[in-house]
Amino acid sequence: MKHIQNTAINYSDLFDDFRHPQSGAVVLFSGEVRDNNRGRAVTHLEYEAYEPMANKMIGEILEEAKSRFNLNQAACVHRVGRVEISGCAVVVITGSGHRKEAYEANRYIIDRVKNEVPIWKHEFFADGTSEWGQNCDCVTDDNHHHHHHHNYERAE
Amino acid sequence: MNRKIVCFAGLKKFFGDETSVEVASGESYAGLLEQLGELNPEAKEVLASCRIAVNEEFVPLNDTIKDQTTLFLIPPSSGG
Repeated sequence: MKHIQNTAINYSDLFDDFRHPQSGAVVLFSGEVRDNNRGRAVTHLEYEAYEPMANKMIGEILEEAKSRFNLNQAACVHRVGRVEISGCAVVVITGSGHRKEAYEANRYIIDRVKNEVPIWKHEFFADGTSEWGQNCDCVTDDNHHHHHHHNYERAE
Repeated sequence: MNRKIVCFAGLKKFFGDETSVEVASGESYAGLLEQLGELNPEAKEVLASCRIAVNEEFVPLNDTIKDQTTLFLIPPSSGG
């Protein structure tokens, strides 16, 4: 699956492949695993996806962003499986003639991927417990998605 | 008819990787979510914000369940 992968994301390679003669601006966002969340020590994350649908939706979001922001290129890859602290969970790269579009499109893509695409984060904490992730923080930002926050703890 | 339902993420705690539910003729997707909530009341809160996908497309929850294909129960996204 082009946009979903279960091995480490090598964003340097992705970035190197991203040159375009009409792009004066290339923006790379890497979403990385923090060692803490809401005051709790995190040991690692595991991501699950409904892979065929997630792959298709990310492809559609990229196509929409390319036309909306007049990008020369756009790429996004999201991990599934276990990701360690400081590991890359998701990368978004955008390229355009000038920086404004590349920055705006990058933000647009990551916000939509986090909010809409069927991918889920399972957080593992230092105290041995784990939780399925809450919806992303971008709901409080300047975009207007209507998602509920949920937090359901694992049974064991 | 009996419909297969595939679950993801936190929903597996309540229903396993997949489950099947007897769907009455004319039942809506919303009605199915309600039925699942009756089967496991602890799941009601998350079911209230679930979407349903059929053939890799989200379906309007008020639509009547029509074809024989598997339903995918999609809890709120938490990627990134």
